[in-house]
Amino acid sequence: MELINSILELLFGSDPELRQIIAVTLRMSLFSTLFSSLIGIPAGVLLGANDFKGKAFFSRLVNTLLGLPPVVAGLIVFLLLSRSGPLGSFRLLYTVEAMVVAQVLLITPFIIAMTSNLVGVNANSINETLTGVGIRGTKRLKYFLLDFRVPFISIILAGFGRSIAEVGAVQMVGGNVQFKTRVMTTAIMMQTNMGRFDFAIALGLILLLISFLVNSVVNRIQKVAADD
Amino acid sequence: MIELKNVVVKAKNRLILDVPELHFEKGKRYGIIGENGSGKTTLLRLLMGTVKASQGSIEGLNLDHKVGYLPQSPYAFSFSVLRNVSMTLEKEQARETLAFNTLEKVGLAGLIHSKGSTLSGGEKQRLGLARVLAVPKEVLLLDEPTSATDIRGTDLVEGLLQEWFEKTKGLLIFTTHAPAQALRLADEVMFLEDGKVIETGSPQDLFNHPRQEETRAFLSHWVI
Repeated sequence: MELINSILELLFGSDPELRQIIAVTLRMSLFSTLFSSLIGIPAGVLLGANDFKGKAFFSRLVNTLLGLPPVVAGLIVFLLLSRSGPLGSFRLLYTVEAMVVAQVLLITPFIIAMTSNLVGVNANSINETLTGVGIRGTKRLKYFLLDFRVPFISIILAGFGRSIAEVGAVQMVGGNVQFKTRVMTTAIMMQTNMGRFDFAIALGLILLLISFLVNSVVNRIQKVAADD
Repeated sequence: MIELKNVVVKAKNRLILDVPELHFEKGKRYGIIGENGSGKTTLLRLLMGTVKASQGSIEGLNLDHKVGYLPQSPYAFSFSVLRNVSMTLEKEQARETLAFNTLEKVGLAGLIHSKGSTLSGGEKQRLGLARVLAVPKEVLLLDEPTSATDIRGTDLVEGLLQEWFEKTKGLLIFTTHAPAQALRLADEVMFLEDGKVIETGSPQDLFNHPRQEETRAFLSHWVI
């Protein structure tokens, strides 16, 4: 009973740390999903809709990166951004920006692969149809984006889901710094280790609630996009 | 005039098309007939540039906006039927009106707000034709344009093609599985088998007096 009270207090109270954690989590997840989508969707369309030399290699590369363990992505970004690394002068380690970079590295291959598989099914038919009316080259990208706008939203949503749930890479490059880079997943892990289960459960519930709200908004956007 | 010389198309070492010499003249309508896999579609794709010849040359065809190609299964985009046609008219001021007028001609005016992807096969073919005809064309390459339409739709499409031809005196090349359609629409018929042009001639000559054994064998299956 005490645990439930404690959870409710956290959920409906105004704990400054909790608010900060939610804000950082949303900022990191939204920006990493945005950048991954801006890179991954056009790249996925180019990969799925075209036949070119090296396509099989690129597809294999993307599929390999799908299996990239988050801690390895975290390690790569850590080494790049650490003081002695090639990008050390930017002093990004243990910032939200570093966490976004690590997330982009993890999510972009996922978005490329899903987009490529999606458009690849009808690519020949679409290309032939567009060629038949004189729409060639890069102009075709617009029609692929328009035609698959609804499933693309699902892919972006899946990318967001991966981002918000990730823990390994963000822990490594973010450092779980209180009031700075602490996100829900790293906070849940830490609070569990400290035995503060009420806080961990409250964070878990909020994480689920955010996912639910984002899904609801996205479903609405999908309906509007489908009716367009 | 479009001229093909010593054109060979191969796919994974399999011969798809072998055309020593062939020409198409402006102001004529060509119907290409033949069995499945005889090379009809490949010939059109070759002309449209979506298939590359392993050897040989094609001269006289400038692949600009005045050449229209309708694939056998045209893709209907998931946006509205009207937009499926107006997408080809980006430079036009009154593109929606133009698109609507073209859709009216193919009998789809009542479906302008429906999603392209919800249309039936025959409707998609008529939508594809509207998309091709929305912009004035000098050359039309049509791959079995009525393979999925009903008899009314076929009549409508054939009427539109006749109208287009009379108006433009352009070049029409179409493939068909229906010799009767070639008889109605074409000035010259070509019979393809195993990637080779076996026989060409006027529809009346080719259908009534086929010179080659292969043509006779193919036409013997023609049942009305």
